Amino acid sequence: MARVNLDGSGAGFRRTDSHVRGLGRSNPNQPAEKPLLVMEDVYKYFRRDVPTLRNVALEVKRGEFVFVTGPSGAGKSTLLQLIYRKHTVDSGRILFLGRDVARLTERSIPFLRRNLGIVFQDFKVVPHWTVYENVAVSMEILGSPVRVVRSRVAETLERVGLAGRGNERTERLSGGEQQRVAIARAIATEPALLLADEPTGNLDPALAIDILTLFEEIHDAGTTVIFATHDHALLQTSPHRLIVIDEGRLIEASQGLRAWSARMHSLSA
Amino acid sequence: MDIRTTFARARRGFRDDLRLHVVAVASLVVAFLCLGAALLGVENLARVAERWTQSQHMTVYLGTDASESDIAQLRLVLDSLTEVAEVEYINSARARAQFAEQTEMGADVGSLPAEAFPASLELALHASANRTRITKIGERIKSFNAVEDVETYQDWFGQLGSLLDAGRKAVGILALLVAVCVVAVIGNTIRLAVANRRQEIEVLKLCGATDRFVRTPFIVEGILQGLTASVLSLVLLGISYLSLRGQVEDTVVTLTGMQVVFLGPLTVLGVVCGGGLVGALGSALSLRRYLSV
Ligand SMILES: Nc1ncnc2c1ncn2[C@@H]1O[C@H](COP(=O)(O)OP(=O)(O)OP(=O)(O)O)[C@@H](O)[C@H]1O
Ligand SMILES: [Mg+2]
Repeated sequence: MARVNLDGSGAGFRRTDSHVRGLGRSNPNQPAEKPLLVMEDVYKYFRRDVPTLRNVALEVKRGEFVFVTGPSGAGKSTLLQLIYRKHTVDSGRILFLGRDVARLTERSIPFLRRNLGIVFQDFKVVPHWTVYENVAVSMEILGSPVRVVRSRVAETLERVGLAGRGNERTERLSGGEQQRVAIARAIATEPALLLADEPTGNLDPALAIDILTLFEEIHDAGTTVIFATHDHALLQTSPHRLIVIDEGRLIEASQGLRAWSARMHSLSA
Repeated sequence: MDIRTTFARARRGFRDDLRLHVVAVASLVVAFLCLGAALLGVENLARVAERWTQSQHMTVYLGTDASESDIAQLRLVLDSLTEVAEVEYINSARARAQFAEQTEMGADVGSLPAEAFPASLELALHASANRTRITKIGERIKSFNAVEDVETYQDWFGQLGSLLDAGRKAVGILALLVAVCVVAVIGNTIRLAVANRRQEIEVLKLCGATDRFVRTPFIVEGILQGLTASVLSLVLLGISYLSLRGQVEDTVVTLTGMQVVFLGPLTVLGVVCGGGLVGALGSALSLRRYLSV
């Protein structure tokens, strides 16, 4: 697939797009604005014959909280990876902040990612770094001056419930705490969109609820969130928009489907 | 990129791979020490050579049958030459006395025959006189009847010159070897550092770091390694110079008439900057091969 920028400048996402503070915040007083993320007719093949994702269409508005669920291997991670350009679509378009993610040049990918916060199942924190260093890194990448980084990291650690623990080595923290560090790193730059790929997958159920609550707080403060999980307990505790991936297709879950998926869960449990 | 952030990240790198960096710097210190010692030798040799070329002289040995008027005529000719700065007559007795003084043979000199100490004219030459000209003058003077032999010392200067050339070449080769060694050691260190930090490189990329951002601290680490190793080796060389100088000074002064000096400020600056540059090069080459960000 040709990697051509929409504007032909070769730049794609640049600094100027990003990090206007509060870019990700919704303003309830404004009329419906352009969606933050649009996927149109997206196909992704890992094997020649069977597409992992097929005919995917999705619109996410600013300020939404979207659950993505589906059985293991359904393509939840793949969907998110297409957004942050770990993989490229085989056909279709993904518009984020008005630009086609699929057509970004390699050089522009960092600038796309600066507008995203990504949280993973395995945390992806650097274990021998301090908590501060792990959170600060996303802001250092933006070139923020040290003074600004310091105050923002302190602020963010407070938001995720780790106030005053910046000097601890991250590997000494519990799993739940390490995930909070990862979340702090993801939100420190106030990204337009927060992607979470099974962020509670490695945590016990009580902790999972805590982490979900944290994401909801972040969402309440104005950040758009896409949260992939197959944990039905989580899906049931919160009445957010739900998208199910089934055999590579995306299905917008109605209330009925939600009830069905809950019943499936209770049967299998 | 914030400069403080860059250094903070490089410092973090040093902290995380401390053992690796210490071992690398230690081996580089040895390499730079060899280079520094060789430079020290050549710089001093060059000083000796320069001083000797500036105090060029020629000895005109006179035949035993040379008459006063022959000598007077010869002196007239010599004085007219622009290359000659000064002419001094040394008769046989003074030559014997000088020899006795220099060799501390004392009374034994008396047993040597008179022919061993011919009278001579010692010519001091201007520093500007070049070698071919001096050789020519020597030949011309030799044709005088009163002259037995002429010593222009040109062979000796030639030898000193070629020794110096050889020394310079050796230092050049050594410098090249050291550069290759530094590139290899730092390149290897950075390769291991990249492997050790695979995880954090992944994190950086996922957070939107550009390739340059990922690479910069590694380059800074390479430069700092080169700088640290060269500065440390010069400090070590300086310490050994100061502690050994007292012991060898007398011998060197008698042999060359000059004191041993330490590397000049330009050489020191050159070694340190070279260390930094080669460190950057080693790191950059290694990153090109091993860091596929
Ligand atoms: N890099 C890849 N190369 C080949 N196949 C891949 C790759 N990534 C994913 N797949 C395949 O795509 C399908 C979807 O994988 P994906 O990881 O998106 O599923 P998931 O819904 O996240 O599953 P889980 O709930 O287990 O995390 C799987 O069949 C997987 O084998
Ligand atoms: Mg997955």
